[in-house]
Amino acid sequence: MRRDGVPFLNAVPAASFAPTHHLLPLTPGGGRTDQREVFVTRRYEVVYIFDSALEEAAINERLAKFHALLGDGTAVTVQHWGKRSLAYPIRHSDTGYYVIAQFEVDSARLPEFERVIKLDEGVVRFLLVLMEIEAPAAVPVETAVVAEEEEE
Amino acid sequence: MRSRSKTCPVCEAGARVLDYKDERTLGRFLTDRGKILPSRLSGMCARHQRQLSSAIKRARQLALLPYIKGYGH
Repeated sequence: MRRDGVPFLNAVPAASFAPTHHLLPLTPGGGRTDQREVFVTRRYEVVYIFDSALEEAAINERLAKFHALLGDGTAVTVQHWGKRSLAYPIRHSDTGYYVIAQFEVDSARLPEFERVIKLDEGVVRFLLVLMEIEAPAAVPVETAVVAEEEEE
Repeated sequence: MRSRSKTCPVCEAGARVLDYKDERTLGRFLTDRGKILPSRLSGMCARHQRQLSSAIKRARQLALLPYIKGYGH
């Protein structure tokens, strides 16, 4: 006890430091601030580029295999863009077969999902992103820009 | 040289988000070497310029847009 009656810092019981702000989530790893242990269901979008030499049946088979990893009840919206040319060659190929899929899934399932896709030789490249906003409408910027250029 | 437009082309079009899969729109905001056009030239507001830059970078990963244009291939 100091002369003015205020306890020294080391005299304060350790427990009084423990509770943090009531709004902070309690992480499973004790005092860890690492959030990786906390899993949430979110909407994701994945774009696959398959080897253009693959048959459509083989592609569908792979898609079924990947999407099975997301859990049985997961509704997956699949959209085939089909074969299109790449902006630069990947694995000495100038074309790829594009497929886009959207789904809502627990983030805990994603590491395994991504690992399996990465190991698949038929997938040339893929991109998994969070869908921040529900199905963005086609942006008609093109018309606006053209109009702007005409003005000049 | 483009002159600076008064308003952001994306806001003007009434859109809130830029889609990284729409390479025709994104391609308009590239220089002839494939660099991202600065907001000074694109006329974008800060929010849409940020979206544009990440959308173009995603599109590049997916080979929808080139990293470098008019060089080699």
